[in-house]
This record gives sequence, structure tokens and C-alpha cells, in this order.
Amino acid sequence: MELILQQAPIVIRSLNIGFLQTLKLFVITLIGALPLGLIISFGSMSSWAPLAFIGRNMERKNGRATAASRFFTGFCPISLIVKIIVWVFRGTPLMLQLLIIYYFPGLVWGNPIWGSGESGRFLASAVAFIINYACYFSEIYRGGIQGVPRGQQEAGQVLGMTKGQIFFKVTLLQMVKRIVPPMGNECITLVKDTSLARIIALQEIIWAGQAFLKGSQGISGAIWPLFFTGVYYLIFTGVVTLLLGWLERKLSYFRA
Amino acid sequence: MKKLTKILALVLALALCVALCACSSGGSGTPASTGSSLDEYKDKDGNLPTEAPEGTEAPEGTETPEVVETAEATDSQYVKDKGVLIVGITDFAPMDYKDENGEWIGFDADMAKAFAAHLGVNVEFVEIDWDNKVLELDGKTIDCVWNGMTLREEVLNSMECSKPYCNNAQVVIVPVDVADQYQTADSIKDLAFAVEAGSAGEDMAVDYELNYTPVKSQADAIMEVASKTSDAAIIDSLMAAAMVGEGTGYENLTYTVGLNSEEYGVGFRKGSDLADMLDQFFAASYSDGTMIECAETYGVQAALIAQ
Amino acid sequence: MSVLEVKDLRKSFGKLEVLKGISFSLEKGDTISIIGSSGSGKTTLLRCLNFLETPNSGIISVNGEKLFDGADSASQRDSEIRKKRLHFGLVFQSFNLFPQYTALGNVKLASNLLAKERLDYQAHKKDIIAEIDENARGLLSQMGLADKIDLYPHQLSGGQQQRVAIARALALSPDVLCFDEPTSALDPELTGEVLKVILSLAEKYTTMVIVTHEMQFAREVSSQVLFMDKGVVAECGTPEEVFGNPKNERTKQFLERYSG
Repeated sequence: MELILQQAPIVIRSLNIGFLQTLKLFVITLIGALPLGLIISFGSMSSWAPLAFIGRNMERKNGRATAASRFFTGFCPISLIVKIIVWVFRGTPLMLQLLIIYYFPGLVWGNPIWGSGESGRFLASAVAFIINYACYFSEIYRGGIQGVPRGQQEAGQVLGMTKGQIFFKVTLLQMVKRIVPPMGNECITLVKDTSLARIIALQEIIWAGQAFLKGSQGISGAIWPLFFTGVYYLIFTGVVTLLLGWLERKLSYFRA
Repeated sequence: MKKLTKILALVLALALCVALCACSSGGSGTPASTGSSLDEYKDKDGNLPTEAPEGTEAPEGTETPEVVETAEATDSQYVKDKGVLIVGITDFAPMDYKDENGEWIGFDADMAKAFAAHLGVNVEFVEIDWDNKVLELDGKTIDCVWNGMTLREEVLNSMECSKPYCNNAQVVIVPVDVADQYQTADSIKDLAFAVEAGSAGEDMAVDYELNYTPVKSQADAIMEVASKTSDAAIIDSLMAAAMVGEGTGYENLTYTVGLNSEEYGVGFRKGSDLADMLDQFFAASYSDGTMIECAETYGVQAALIAQ
Repeated sequence: MSVLEVKDLRKSFGKLEVLKGISFSLEKGDTISIIGSSGSGKTTLLRCLNFLETPNSGIISVNGEKLFDGADSASQRDSEIRKKRLHFGLVFQSFNLFPQYTALGNVKLASNLLAKERLDYQAHKKDIIAEIDENARGLLSQMGLADKIDLYPHQLSGGQQQRVAIARALALSPDVLCFDEPTSALDPELTGEVLKVILSLAEKYTTMVIVTHEMQFAREVSSQVLFMDKGVVAECGTPEEVFGNPKNERTKQFLERYSG
């Protein structure tokens, strides 16, 4: 116990530094992934079918839909590409994505674009996290948007509103209300996922805690700092949970 | 079903495109003096002499971008051009660790600083995940691994290594209360061991035909013993001295039998000329006494190997 | 000149032809009721009028202006559809109020957005906003909801919600106000209040197209009744003609079923 009290100031200072990295990665991921996810969700819902006219012509000629004509009318390249990207990023481990994004440029192109220092590692982590989480968010957004009854959009159309007005003035808030609970889950997961960035040696809080096991700043073989990082995570997720609860209450004035 | 095949074909095509892009950009070579590490790996699989090899033309020093394609710049030239030697380390006293000001010190750190000064470049220390040290080297995010690295066969195969400069041993970690039963190599045969995967400790466990579980790090191996999930662990003696015994978090653990002696070296990219340059630098600093002086500062003079 | 003229309107979904050439016209201040069994194409007709569906062929004109002509692709451009919709108002079966706005907010939203497109908006911003507010409050009290203007949709009964929806449609002063089975989603005891409001609108000579299953109400409110069967106009005439003396066999069967 006495030993722990002696070690505490050094350990906590170190954990605070690590926690700052964790917090930074969390915030930057949210700032990047929340809007990017929306763009991706629009991409996956895109119904732009540049070859549809071929299919329609075939149908007109044949008088009925064939497999080929259906392929042309249903071929939406943007949606398809976006869906493949989402599949790849949701279908592979984030840890693998971190390794590839950080090491690939140096290994294959001979040009380590991220640089080797802590800031380069942070940047690469942020890029990996933003893309990965944007893909997850996009699916939640899509569910949220498609969950808003079609009648809402039609009511807006009949009132002469533009597509943009309908989205921002009618659909958006209802979607937000729908997605708060699943997004809350993702945010809590993100808090803990930040620890994956240690695979490319981003010195987040678990790295900082583990350093005292291996030996750092005169303290070695100390297990309690590693376990103590759990307290940081609990406080962090606690605050996130409170914020989400607050947001949910804020939106409880209407029923969607 | 038809749709599925189409999608599959498209995915494969995309993957192919990505691969082709990657290859072509790798092959055409980036400007400046880099040259892909993979090319180096393929082209010259032996040691590179410090001076320009027989075939290469003189203009290496002039560093006109056009000649890069034919005559590859040496690794030392690459480091000198960017003006900084990036040293991959972990927090590992007494070799590499931070002082109160957050400055990296230690026997390895101080020697790395001196070597960088000798090359006329700055030095930068970067903490890495030990598992990824070869990735970091080949991906050029670091220029060398200089962190009390045991010269194991795997290390020698994947890196261009300096001559050994320090002795080390693998020791057995056991709880203090049973330590006197396990003082010989024969007495440990029946114990369940934890060893770091891919470490010199694992090599020992294999050599001695021990029953072991590979874990992620030496620290994890110790934790296994402390939590009684394993009977014993095998780790570096330098690390054992720092991690177990009085004044550490593992007061009820100790180390007993030493299984072998082994040696530390510095690792560079495969084919790098820096390994030879370091050997020469070590020899010079050993003979003028600065290396011994540095070793004494960190209490590792007994382990130092004459250069 | 008729306010609304529909000529030979056709619409198919895939192979299914839902509208097989519908024609009718409507004079200013008149009310036409469209009756018929479900699946006869009534709702599709209303949705075509409001450009929620694009007809395959036919002509829709309002006040003599061709809004849609199946033969003229220039009249089908997406960019102009938004403006064209403003000739019509639509009250939905399921109200479709915007849940995040109060009753007043629902009525004002589209007007406020449209006002921003006016050239004099910046110069007379305050006056315009005040005028919209006043108009919306007036409409809501006309619907008997003066004391409910600050409530959210979920705090209102179905009948009250539908009356807000009617006020919302009226706020843009459409040439023709359409109702798509406005009382079908309501409990029986709440239909009366909505029908009363529609009746009062008819008395004020609002031009309306009403799809309904309330035969008694249709008889009372309409100047014209149109019976649709399997995508065609089976019978059209004054309420007295259609209800009192139906000529078409299908109409007779249908009315018999409804009068019980």
C-alpha cells in the first residue's frame, strides 16, 4: 500500500498523458466520422443508375423485363462501390486496418507518409478510426433515415419543400432521435477501441499503464497502474453515458 | 446466384487494381534517395561494404534524382539526407529509459546519441511495439532497433545486425517460497512455463523441451507466474533484475537458474551499410574508453563485450 | 374555365395499370368526391395530381395552364415539379404531421421556407414573418384549435392532428385542396369534427377533391361525385344522380354494400 502511494504521483502523471491521447483520438474520431458517416450513408443509398436507360430501352423493345435489363436498370455504381467499402471496413478487424494504414506506405511505396514520431502515429490512427467508425455510423444513419416514415418526406414534398429542406427541417431531427441509442453504443465501444491504437505504438492510456509493468521511470513490475486505467475508462464511459442520456431527454419533447 | 458471381468478380478486379497500383508505385521508385527496402532486400542479399560497391557509379554523393533508379543510394546516405537517425526503442531500463525531464537516457540511448553525432545527424527516439520492429524498420518509420535486442536467429535473418556489444542471459522466474527447489536446469523440467512469444526465452523453452505457453510480452509472462496461472517464466536477466524482487511490484518472485548466455546487438534494415559503420564506431569508442565509461554510468560494464 | 382539368390520365406500376384513362374537370369553388372500392385507383389519382407519382400519359392543367403533359417531356422536369405542386394541397390519411414541430410550427414551416425565396424577403423580413404567423394562427382557430397551437402532434387527438394538417395545407393557399381518405385513420367518434371542418370549407367555396368512404358526407359536401372502378371512371354526376339514381351496375352494387 505504501509502495502504491509512493508510486501514485508518477503513475498518475503518466496515465494522464496517456489518457489525453485516448481522449484526443476519441474526440477527433467523432468529429471526423459523424459527418463522413452521413456522406457514406447517402452514397450507399444513392440510386444513380447511369445505365438505366439501356435497361429501359431493352424492356421497351422486348416488352418485358429480362435479367440483363434488370441488371442495367438496377446498376447503381456509387451505391455499389460505397457498399463494398463499408463491407471491407466493417468486415475486417480495426487492428488490421491500423497496421495496414500505418505500415503500408513505407513498406510498399518506400515512403513512410505518416512519419515515425508520436504525431504521425496519431494521424494514422485517427485516419483508420475515422474511416472505420464512419462506416459503422453510415449504417446506423441509413437505418435512421429509412426508419423515418415515407409520409414525412411526402408531406414535405406536397408543401413545396426542396430535398435539402426536407432533409434538414423534417427528416434530420427525427433520424437523430432514432439513432441516439445505437450511436451511444458505438461511442462507448469507441472509448474502449481507442486502446487498439497501441498496436502501432500510439502511447494511449493502456500503453502508459503497461509501461510500469515492464519498467519505466524507476517503477517496474507494478501491476496496479494497468488495472487503474480501468478507472479512467469507467469515468470516461460514465461521462459519455450521461451526455447521451441528456441528449435523449432533450429530444423527448416529441415522439417520432 | 448470378448476381453473386458478378459481385465476386468485381471485388477481385478491384483487389487486383489495388495490388497493381501498389506494385507499380513501388517499382517505379519514389524520388529522392530512398529506393524501396524490398528492392534492396532482393538486389543485394549480402552485407554491403561501407564504401560504394564495385558496380555502382560514382555519382552517389551528388544525389541527382535521375541516377537513383540505377544506382541505389545507401542506407547511410538516406539517413544523412534526411538528417535524423530514428531509433526504435521500448522503455527498457537500463538500456533505454526516460529521466525526470522526459529525456531518453540509458546505455543504448547514450550510445545511439553518440553514433548519430558521429554520422553528423540528429537522433530521434521512437517508442515502438516490440512485435512490429521489423515492420517499423522496413516501413522506414525507424532506422534501427537499439534496445537491448538479443541477436536471435530470427533477428539476424530479418535485420542487418551489428556485432554483439553486451552479454545477457535467460533466467527462470519462480515464486520466492519455492525458489530453492529450482536452482538447476534439471529441476525445472516439470514446471508449466510462460514465455514471450518469439523471444529468446521461447527458444530456451524449446531447447530444454519444457512445457510452455507463449504470451504477448515478458511482462505478461511474469504476471502469469504472479497470478499462479503458470509455475515459472523465462525472461532476460537484465529485465528480471528490474522487474522482480525487493522494491518491485513482484516482491514474492525471484529468478534462479540462468539457461544460457546470449548477446545484444543493434538491428538495421536488411542490407544497410549502417551496421558496418556502427561496428567501426563501437571499435573506436571501445578503444578510446568512451564506451566503457558510458557502460559504467548505467552499471552494465560487467556485461560489455570487448570490441 | 375550369380550375382543374384532367384528361386521359394513365398510370402503371410495372405491368399493373392502375389508372386507365381518367378524365374529369372541376369548377372553382366546387367540391368533387371520389368514391370506389379499395384498389380502384382513387389514391393513385390524388398522388398523381400532387406529383407524388408521375403519370405515364395524360394531361393535368390548372387554370388553363398545362402542368403535366405525358406527350411533352419538358413538362416533366424535376426542377419545376416543386413549384407545380404548390397549386395543390394534400391532406393525408395518416396526417403526416412533423412530430418535432408544434401545431403552429407545422402550419408555418413551409410558408417560412417559401418566403425566403421572395425577392423582397430581406427588406421586409419582419413584416413577412409576422404575416405568416398571423395567417397560421387564424387558420388554426378557424379549425377550432386556438388553444392547441403550442402543443406537439403526439399531445393531440387524431381528429385534432388532422385539423392541424388541414390548416397546414391551407396555409399555402392552394388552388385545389385534396383529401386522401381524411377520416379513415380516425376513431369513429373523432371523424365528425374533421368532416365538419371540411364541410365549412366547402361552404366557403374552397375547391376540393375528396377521396372518401363516408358516403353520407360525400353526398352532403360534393357538387360532383365520381365513382371509380378498376382504374376507370364508371360514373360521374351530381350527388343526387350518383347516389339517388345510379346508372352503372357496379355503382349500384358498391352503394348497396355501403348502405348496408
